Amino acid sequence: MKERFRALDPRLLWVVLALIGLGTLTLYSAGRNTPQAGIWLKQTLWNLMGLGIMAALAGADPRRFFRKGFPAYLVGLLALLAVLVVGRRIGGSTRWFVVLGQTFQPSELMKWVTLLYVSQRLGSRPPDQVTRLDLLGAVGLVVFPMLLIQRQPDLGMALSFLPILLLIPLMKGVRARWIAALVVFVLLGGTAAWNFALKPYQKQRVMIFLDPSSDLQGKGYQVNQSRIAIGSGGLIGKGFTSGSQTQLNFLPVKTTDFAFSVWAEERGFFGVLIALALFGLLLDRILAAARAALSATEAYFCAGAAGIFALHLLVNVGMVAGALPNKGMVLPFFSAGGSSTLSFFLALGIIMGIQHRARLK
Amino acid sequence: MDPRQRPVLHRRLGAMRAMAWGLVALLVLVYAWLQLVRHGEYQQIALNQAVKVRPMAAPRGLVLDRNGHRLVDNRRALHLVIQREDLPTKPEVVAALAEALGLDPLALARKVQSYRQAGKGRPLVLQENLDESGIALAERVRARFPFLGVEVAPRRVYLGDELAGHAMGYVGEVDEELMKARPGAFHLGEIIGKEGFEAAGNDRLKGIDGQKRILVDQLGTEVANFGQIDAAPGRSLYLTLDAGLQKVAQEAMGEEAGAVVVLDLRDGGVLALYSSPSYDPNLFLNRLSQDMVDRYLANSRTKPMLNRATQGVYAPGSTFKLLVGLAALEKGVVTPQTQVYCAGRKNFYGRDFRCDKPTGHGSLSMVQAIAQSCDVYFYELASRMDVDDIHATAEKYGLTERTGIDLPQEKRTRIPSRAWKKKAVPRDPKWYAGETISVGIGQGAVGVTPIGLARFYALLATRGKLLTPHLFLGLRDDETSQLIPAPAPPVRDTPLDPAIWAVLDEGLYEVVRGGTAAASALKEITMVGKTGTAQVATFVDRAHYARQAKALKDHALFAGYAPREKPQIAFAVVVENAGFGASSAAPIARKLVQYWFLDRPVRPLPPPRGKLVDPFAPPPEAPE
Repeated sequence: MKERFRALDPRLLWVVLALIGLGTLTLYSAGRNTPQAGIWLKQTLWNLMGLGIMAALAGADPRRFFRKGFPAYLVGLLALLAVLVVGRRIGGSTRWFVVLGQTFQPSELMKWVTLLYVSQRLGSRPPDQVTRLDLLGAVGLVVFPMLLIQRQPDLGMALSFLPILLLIPLMKGVRARWIAALVVFVLLGGTAAWNFALKPYQKQRVMIFLDPSSDLQGKGYQVNQSRIAIGSGGLIGKGFTSGSQTQLNFLPVKTTDFAFSVWAEERGFFGVLIALALFGLLLDRILAAARAALSATEAYFCAGAAGIFALHLLVNVGMVAGALPNKGMVLPFFSAGGSSTLSFFLALGIIMGIQHRARLK
Repeated sequence: MDPRQRPVLHRRLGAMRAMAWGLVALLVLVYAWLQLVRHGEYQQIALNQAVKVRPMAAPRGLVLDRNGHRLVDNRRALHLVIQREDLPTKPEVVAALAEALGLDPLALARKVQSYRQAGKGRPLVLQENLDESGIALAERVRARFPFLGVEVAPRRVYLGDELAGHAMGYVGEVDEELMKARPGAFHLGEIIGKEGFEAAGNDRLKGIDGQKRILVDQLGTEVANFGQIDAAPGRSLYLTLDAGLQKVAQEAMGEEAGAVVVLDLRDGGVLALYSSPSYDPNLFLNRLSQDMVDRYLANSRTKPMLNRATQGVYAPGSTFKLLVGLAALEKGVVTPQTQVYCAGRKNFYGRDFRCDKPTGHGSLSMVQAIAQSCDVYFYELASRMDVDDIHATAEKYGLTERTGIDLPQEKRTRIPSRAWKKKAVPRDPKWYAGETISVGIGQGAVGVTPIGLARFYALLATRGKLLTPHLFLGLRDDETSQLIPAPAPPVRDTPLDPAIWAVLDEGLYEVVRGGTAAASALKEITMVGKTGTAQVATFVDRAHYARQAKALKDHALFAGYAPREKPQIAFAVVVENAGFGASSAAPIARKLVQYWFLDRPVRPLPPPRGKLVDPFAPPPEAPE
């Protein structure tokens, strides 16, 4: 036990604990005087459970997990297939298993399993021995679960797999023609997605993003109210549990997607600075672990994890401010939810394990 | 790890680290833009949607009868409303709302438009006086249209229902025409009196709306109150009406159409004013349904919306003979003793004019002619005068003017003259002497309102005082509930010769003592009056009359005062299409007199009660 706690990177741990603190305060305020008044307590239980998992994983040799990468990936794919068949349908999409009254979202975990497996495959050989076919295979490994998730449908979740592809330029470097190819791909893919893949409600979101005032009573209402909450918070905020947008329920889904708006309204720009600085430190510490990692696989995993955390940060914090389209992407440590919380801690546990192994050397 | 790979990887990880902090910096910039640069703007929006100024409707004053019995009460009602600042802007939202509530989409769109343009003020009321099912519907509809609200506002309840429909009138939202006609006088959505005394006394009865600043949540529910300016309720006031006497009038009229007016001879106060068929003002508080329009507004046969007491113009028939007699005595064409022989008919200008009694009354003086209602006597009087003489006398004694009663749209009494015919019948402007003969018995073009007729008999009762009938008795002192008597409207003295008056009074006495209304005499009280049997008022020539007469029976009238020795009340009763005045109108007058002088002091009728059950009624108050 002692060994395990020594494995925890103290600087990363303090950042995580601080973010948990901010998130818990936010959920307490967001749940006040609503049927969800106890949500901060429930989230605290998830956080404690997550911290336990993190501590357990940090003390273990990370190479054990990478060796299980392939079977874990297969199990993950099966789970994604299974959820499409037997999953619970909530609000028009089938994303959840229901076990003992708790909903569980397999795609949350699958994100990390995919990262784990792809890191392992790409890191097992020196970069100059990795062929284009290997790279194509890695892209396939990422895109296949994304397609399954898009079947649910859950575009936000599917997109959160994309940072895994960062591993390729990380390993191979970036050439100008690749960037050109990426631009062409995004344009073609975007056009194709718009015409064939996106559901009407997803298209609508994009339209509303381009012109938020076009639908103030409908979908645009949420982002508009969120912007009002953030903007009215000002420099120092309206005070804890005193945000009018939050407390009078003008702010929608404030315990999940729009939790950060609660923080921004009640704690103001100073609060936002603190939260963003902590997230910056989090990314910084994860990338430091990547730098310290003994193996390429471990370094790739850490870098990919940083990418995933960064994407969540960018999309959620940008979305609630109306700077990005309204994508359902949670903010780690702020948005309430069991599957996502446990998955984030699981990844952090492995990262700490990687750092711990490097430190021991 | 491959030792050659490490420095490359570290370089690239360094780039990633820079990108991570770049991302954080970018987000900081976005939030700085929202929270620092645009803070003021968003703070204003947040404030505007959470802090609302809501108008609070002021209750109108109560209306009490002269004994303090409530004729109108205020109860709480729930209305489905849209506050001004929440009015939907999109046409499709308005259309969907209209569909959900079963309203006319075009009318609603127009209304939303006008309310939006009008700025602050009363909310747009979609549905008034929600009952249980209405509240359930409102809750359902609100899920789709979150801008809907429910407002608690006072609502009128007219006790006694149809008891005083025309006298009270009813209230409603000010309409566009009136707002255009009197710009600045009303604000959009204001509840004003539409008819009856509610309209005439609107300025006294209406209060001043208050307002409150409240904090609302996303559903528009009040969370906190930051302070309010209380609504100032309208003044409560007393009417001259006596609810018991009014009830007697209502019951006496029964199913018959017509009108009853009873005046207080002390000051001209209206003790009873009933127009039959009456209407229940409570039915007009909610938006008119098609059913209501059919039943009331479009009912051209019984015309229930017409206040027959002040707007019904009837041929006065024999009740007019008193004026003709007065004119003849003043002009000196006869003396009280002049005898006229009645053979049942008499020829004037080559035409036979018949008396009611075909066998004739024989030789009569004026008193006898009044008592027996001899037509030939008054034909003779008319033939000795010009129509302008009769008109001049009518003018002198106030019969040609409106009485000035405090009710809207009073009709004018019509006493023909040469000048009148020139204006009214341009295709045949010449006055024929034969027409004067008809005027002599209150036929022809003569038309009086029951209130005008009652006022003329009040003039006879008071020996020449021209009263102004009025309903307003005085304001109520809101602390003591006592009446603050208002000065009675002016009384005009007319030069009625006491000798002439005595003849007329004697004639009226004889009518009830042994004349046409002898059956309606009361032992205890000397009621005097004159019967009348009259054809429809609105004919111009005999052919016109002939067409009308086929369709309608004669109207029965009775007008008079009581008690003869020291008159206290004057009255006029009109019963449409009932035939002879003595058999239908006089008994009604008898009931009025009986109640007023005999029953009321001993056993007054109970105060009026509404039959409408109010789901939000406060516990009943102690009677005042």
